[in-house]
Amino acid sequence: MTADPVPAPDRTTPRAALSCDGITKAFQGVRAVNGATFAVPEGLVTALIGPNGAGKTTVVNILSGSMTCDGGTERVGDAEVTNWPSHRIARLGLMRTFQLSRELGGLTVLENLLVAAPGQAGESLLNVFLRPSLVRRQERENVERALDVLDTYGLFHLRDNRASDLSGGQKKLLEISRAVMASPRILLLDEPMAGVNPALIERIGGHILDLKATGVTVLMIEHNLNVVERICDHVIVLAEGRTLATGRLGDLRENAEVVQAYLGEVIDASTHG
Amino acid sequence: MSNVWYYVFTLVFFLFDYFILAMGLNIQYGETGILNFAFIGFVAIGSYVTGALALPSSVGTGQHYIFGLGLPFPVNLLLGGVAASGFAVVVALITLRRLRTDYLAMVLISLSLVLYDVTNNFIPLFNGADGLYNVPEPFAGVLELTTNSFIPFFAAVTGAIALLLWLVMSRITRSPQGRTFRAIRDDDVVAAALGKDVFRTQLKSMLIGSFYAGIGGGLIIEFAGSFNPTAWLPGETFVVFAVIIVGGVGNNVGMLVGSLVVETLLIHLPAFLPSIPNHPGLIEYFDTVVVGVLLMAMLWFRPQGIVPERLRKASSLGGSDHALVARGSDAAAAARPAGVAAAGPKGER
Repeated sequence: MTADPVPAPDRTTPRAALSCDGITKAFQGVRAVNGATFAVPEGLVTALIGPNGAGKTTVVNILSGSMTCDGGTERVGDAEVTNWPSHRIARLGLMRTFQLSRELGGLTVLENLLVAAPGQAGESLLNVFLRPSLVRRQERENVERALDVLDTYGLFHLRDNRASDLSGGQKKLLEISRAVMASPRILLLDEPMAGVNPALIERIGGHILDLKATGVTVLMIEHNLNVVERICDHVIVLAEGRTLATGRLGDLRENAEVVQAYLGEVIDASTHG
Repeated sequence: MSNVWYYVFTLVFFLFDYFILAMGLNIQYGETGILNFAFIGFVAIGSYVTGALALPSSVGTGQHYIFGLGLPFPVNLLLGGVAASGFAVVVALITLRRLRTDYLAMVLISLSLVLYDVTNNFIPLFNGADGLYNVPEPFAGVLELTTNSFIPFFAAVTGAIALLLWLVMSRITRSPQGRTFRAIRDDDVVAAALGKDVFRTQLKSMLIGSFYAGIGGGLIIEFAGSFNPTAWLPGETFVVFAVIIVGGVGNNVGMLVGSLVVETLLIHLPAFLPSIPNHPGLIEYFDTVVVGVLLMAMLWFRPQGIVPERLRKASSLGGSDHALVARGSDAAAAARPAGVAAAGPKGER
């Protein structure tokens, strides 16, 4: 099924940093994604919302290459990258975080960031043995930058801690700062604020807006519509594996189909809450 | 030279040789997380190839084997290591792309059994169940060593090779490449999402570890002059696993300690004890029991091993002094930990 009801992209929106067309994915007969079609405008913060089981995380897994799709196409900028492996998509500057934090538990917080540094000469054994000074110099620069990123995210004092020893909230910040260390052009955040306290939600929201200010395109799955309202410029609604609507949250609230599929109950909950 | 020294230097040889083997398995399992249950197969390949390259043409020797090139000592040993690495590439291309963790382990243990059965029964390859023997002693024509002087000499050679391989391995594990190995061990999906080519990296790790396996195996046949299938029953892989688990997975120095405790003290030393009257071979059977019990006890009480993996701190990673002076905003972060720290219990899902 194609996504006919999707309105044509508004002419005033910037070009797409990331787009997909007719993505499908079935898990043993269950159609988790069923023709998802949307574009993520460059330089903006876009929310991917929808009821539970709408296929949001599956879409993020497919877009980031962590999972292959059965049909459809994906583009990063103008390049078609459908079903490219994760590491090749990542090298185009697309980074993702995970819904449940997945820290590299045996490494320190600082090392978690260093792993993400792009283009390390020291990942070639030839360089390790034949050009040690180049490797050392680059490592020093990466350490400096990683410490700066940790400082920004308030993790500097935890730099030498084993990543598995962090608290849940700290792990959320580590996920984001690790992706930032890779200097991404596009950032996919899978529920960056799920299960964290209000103060931290505030703080993560601030970090996302800071990233936007540096030109990073952000696509985030988010359930909290207050957060979406405040920090997201653009919203994509997913339901039953297909794109239901795209636009500004304010306009979507007036879309009967969207309200029926998803917003109704949430708006009720949030106005009463 | 008295018999005591003969024993002591034999133990020293096995200490260093298993140090080399353990470093090889450690980079595969301890650093990269590849459960290589066929490890002893790579040791055997190194051993056979080293031996068959040193032996003269098989015509008239009463043995059947391939090669028979009569190559001098370090050359055949290096080629033995290369052969084990080459075989690792083939195995990795077939298995690593599709399989992970326990499935990979099952396939590899089957591979170990297949290698064993083929070598044991296909005589033209490496002389079947009899194995290779009369392998020429290294430096035989040059140094004129007697049986007694050869053992301490070769234990020292093995020690020197182990030292060199340890320096190389520490350099690898300390490098950004080593960090990428450990990232894949901790979570290969995350490593891939950060731009790491997981398959290529695992392939590198297999290649390096198998080279160490091949060198360790080659040294065994050079030391003993013979090598046959009883030396590498598929279960022998778990002795090397015991070495690295007891020593401390992820720590190269731990490999030497593990080799000392498991291989030298528990497996080889008892073989030199006087046998119990009327029960020949009983002590050897107890070896296996003791190693098994020790392995279980370690996993229960001290899974990190005797010498645990070190955390690599900022100061050891090239963070200059001024880089480590607290950043401005972090002082503020430390002063308002509520946002981060208080999220802890709730954030853990």
